Amino acid sequence: MIGYILTNEQYTQVQGQYYTEYQFFNCVADINGVWFLFLSDEDKQVVATTEYAWVLDLPEAEYIPLPPPPFPPK
Amino acid sequence: MIRVGVSVGSFVASGGGASFDADAQAFFDRVTTAGGTLSTTEKNATNQLVLDMKSAGIWTPMKAIYPMVGASAAACAQNLKSSSFTGTFSSGWTFASTGVTPNGTSAFLNSGLNASTNLSVTSLSFGGYTSSTANASGDAYHGASPPNYLMQSFKSYNVTEFWRTVGGSIVVSGGTVGMVQANQLGILSKIYTNNTIGGTNAATMVTIPNLNMYIGGINNNGTATFFDNHLISYYYYADGLTDTQASNHYTAVQTFQTTLSRQVP
Repeated sequence: MIGYILTNEQYTQVQGQYYTEYQFFNCVADINGVWFLFLSDEDKQVVATTEYAWVLDLPEAEYIPLPPPPFPPK
Repeated sequence: MIRVGVSVGSFVASGGGASFDADAQAFFDRVTTAGGTLSTTEKNATNQLVLDMKSAGIWTPMKAIYPMVGASAAACAQNLKSSSFTGTFSSGWTFASTGVTPNGTSAFLNSGLNASTNLSVTSLSFGGYTSSTANASGDAYHGASPPNYLMQSFKSYNVTEFWRTVGGSIVVSGGTVGMVQANQLGILSKIYTNNTIGGTNAATMVTIPNLNMYIGGINNNGTATFFDNHLISYYYYADGLTDTQASNHYTAVQTFQTTLSRQVP
């Protein structure tokens, strides 16, 4: 899965921030601790009209997830 | 245009337009205020859903109902039951007339409904409806944990599950497409798959998470994990339902989905 790569500073700028009244950014770390942001096509159209449009210019890369945590969660 | 409405019992008759149940109309108004739009078919289907639920005595037990109509975050975030528990979507969802689909990697919906505050250890029910035949590639759940569990899956590792704090999980082999209702009433835990009781287990549930319930993933102490990728066409939280109520709930939701041409046969 391809996603946008964020620096730690960029992650801090967007994580949890609302780009509409009912939508907020959620980033996830990959296996190397690099932050990724995944946006659907609908997200991209909306984000392009906001102060966060710059995320659409971030470099993209293949996401390799962390191994799943123990289940059930402890 | 000035809309002239006359309230008749629990119905609102609008001048020259369709008459809707007052609770359905309130939902339509919330969607509009939020910036969403609904088609006539979606409004009629939703109105009938409310009427059917009231007729079957399952409207009152409901805490939150997300009909997932309107093909937008603004519309799908709205709770049909009341103005409480308006959801908020993370990035990564796709919105369509068929419902909402998380990406299975980072997307979840925060319902705003705290399980400990709004649900009872002896009376709770939650779940949803999917027409997706996807089989989540890993653990994929909806709910909250830890230190206590309250989670439900549609089809993870080819099984459908209801996890709760005491008693572990109830598992329905083969996975389910359609409706899943994870239900606790007294000490009896059940998982209803479509119109059947998929599994039953007796266990005294002593605690439930003091966390908001998530859809599309688990609220793991404030961080979403165990993301799902199933298309979700309905989701709800309620007090515990009896077998009859659960059956009627399925019938009402199936009728709703059929009207919207997104039902599972």
